[in-house]
Amino acid sequence: MSSLALMRWLESSPERYDAGMRFITFGNVTKLHAAVAAAAASKPGDRVLEVGCGTGTVTQLLLGRGADVTAIDQSPEMLEQAKQRLAGDSGASVRFIEQTAAEIDGMADASCDAIVLSLSLSDMSPSERAYVLREAGRLLAPGGRLVAADEVHAPAGGQRWLQRLWRFPQAVLGWLLVGSLSQPIADLSGEIQAAGFEVCSEQRWMMGNLALVVAEVAA
Amino acid sequence: MTWRVHAKNFFLEFMQTALRLFPWPTQPGLRTIGRPDASSPVLLTGNFDLTVRRLVHALEGVDAWLLVAPSGGINVWCASSGGHLTTHQVVTALKTTGIADKVDHRQVILPQLAATGVLALDVFRRSRWKVRFGPVDMHDIPAYLEKREKTDSMRRVTFPLSDRLQMALMWGAPTTVLISGLALWLAPKWAAALALLIAAMSVGVFTLYDRLGEQRRWILLGVSAVISFAATWLAGGGAAALTASLIVPAFVTTLLTFDYTGSTPLEGGSHFEERTWHIAFDETLCDGIYRCWEVCPQACFEKDEANR
Repeated sequence: MSSLALMRWLESSPERYDAGMRFITFGNVTKLHAAVAAAAASKPGDRVLEVGCGTGTVTQLLLGRGADVTAIDQSPEMLEQAKQRLAGDSGASVRFIEQTAAEIDGMADASCDAIVLSLSLSDMSPSERAYVLREAGRLLAPGGRLVAADEVHAPAGGQRWLQRLWRFPQAVLGWLLVGSLSQPIADLSGEIQAAGFEVCSEQRWMMGNLALVVAEVAA
Repeated sequence: MTWRVHAKNFFLEFMQTALRLFPWPTQPGLRTIGRPDASSPVLLTGNFDLTVRRLVHALEGVDAWLLVAPSGGINVWCASSGGHLTTHQVVTALKTTGIADKVDHRQVILPQLAATGVLALDVFRRSRWKVRFGPVDMHDIPAYLEKREKTDSMRRVTFPLSDRLQMALMWGAPTTVLISGLALWLAPKWAAALALLIAAMSVGVFTLYDRLGEQRRWILLGVSAVISFAATWLAGGGAAALTASLIVPAFVTTLLTFDYTGSTPLEGGSHFEERTWHIAFDETLCDGIYRCWEVCPQACFEKDEANR
């Protein structure tokens, strides 16, 4: 119960939650969010589906670029925080929906110009990731982009060991305090390709621990 | 099974019980029990490893599909009450595991204690799967599957001695590590005696505590402090040891009884106000399907066949 209390404390304020994320990523999450928004919303009016919007940081950036955003999250608390964040922006074209990532299977074919998965895939089981990525391919309009950013395994050698050293205390604390069980994804680009996409680019941050993959449906 | 497998299972069982305050996840997904076919029942549980291993054992001789939903590595009742095993996780498991391609029906059986977090009608609306709430105790599942009917005893939560001892281990083990660990550092010769005191207090809290009446925290504190003080005095402890012999029982009492509400079915209430619910009957919302009667583990409701 005490772990739930801490989680609630973190989720009770988007600023606190976001500050925590900035701390554990040495500020890299800010650059990651900006890059995600830039890759997803290339022109005003783009229809963007954001899967796992959390406190709405990326949602706000997407809206700032003129996108028409559908943001989903299974946590009503997170959605409430995201709505509060955008409360002052009356002209924003955004719909918030409380649903799981798997429920995007109810959306129409080719209804999105871009799909954003920012730090949400690592919270899913492998079978859930495969399902969501396959569905994402169906939802994208011709020429549409999948923009996936997440914690991944560092490339190899020394960086991988540094990642393990850095992550171990974090993982123990996360497990003890908030029940966080997310794992870095071993091969994000590979999973995206296996779901029928062609990877256009992959950028890395934080000694290779954070990756941003942009992909299109393979011809 | 070989003795090595037995030994490994016993070790895992002990460790996961002693550490069950913390999440212990297993991989979510679809598992087979026996040799299921298209008409076999579909069961669902959370991804707490201890539960899944016990469930697989309890279902020996049954042919079924088992969906392990992502519950944060937490047991079903806590995960459902705490928002980790809700409609969303059930829908996710139903949609992403491929179970729809394996069976010719759309009915999933959930543990009854998942009802605090899962809305059956919402699961149906989102996935077209019907939810049935099975028995409270996994050992009743084979009998339930035979008749697809729950007896009254299958609906009720009890707190038998085996469960009480598990809770004693769950709270006693980390408390012993904390207190005796500190003692090993500060006063090594008292560490073993402290471990014994904490073990006795843990067993006492979870076997006798609910029989002690309203002033039970003070009774527990008083009895343990007297025993601790007397033992320390008889062992020739000095002023510091005698002072500690009074402080430690107070600290241990606080730790062991901190989440008595959450660790037993014996007390109502919650640490969180929003989860302290009050039952009210709204005639306009009642559709007469007796779901409340079916899932209440304390038999709070009675069937009124004449008036729904």
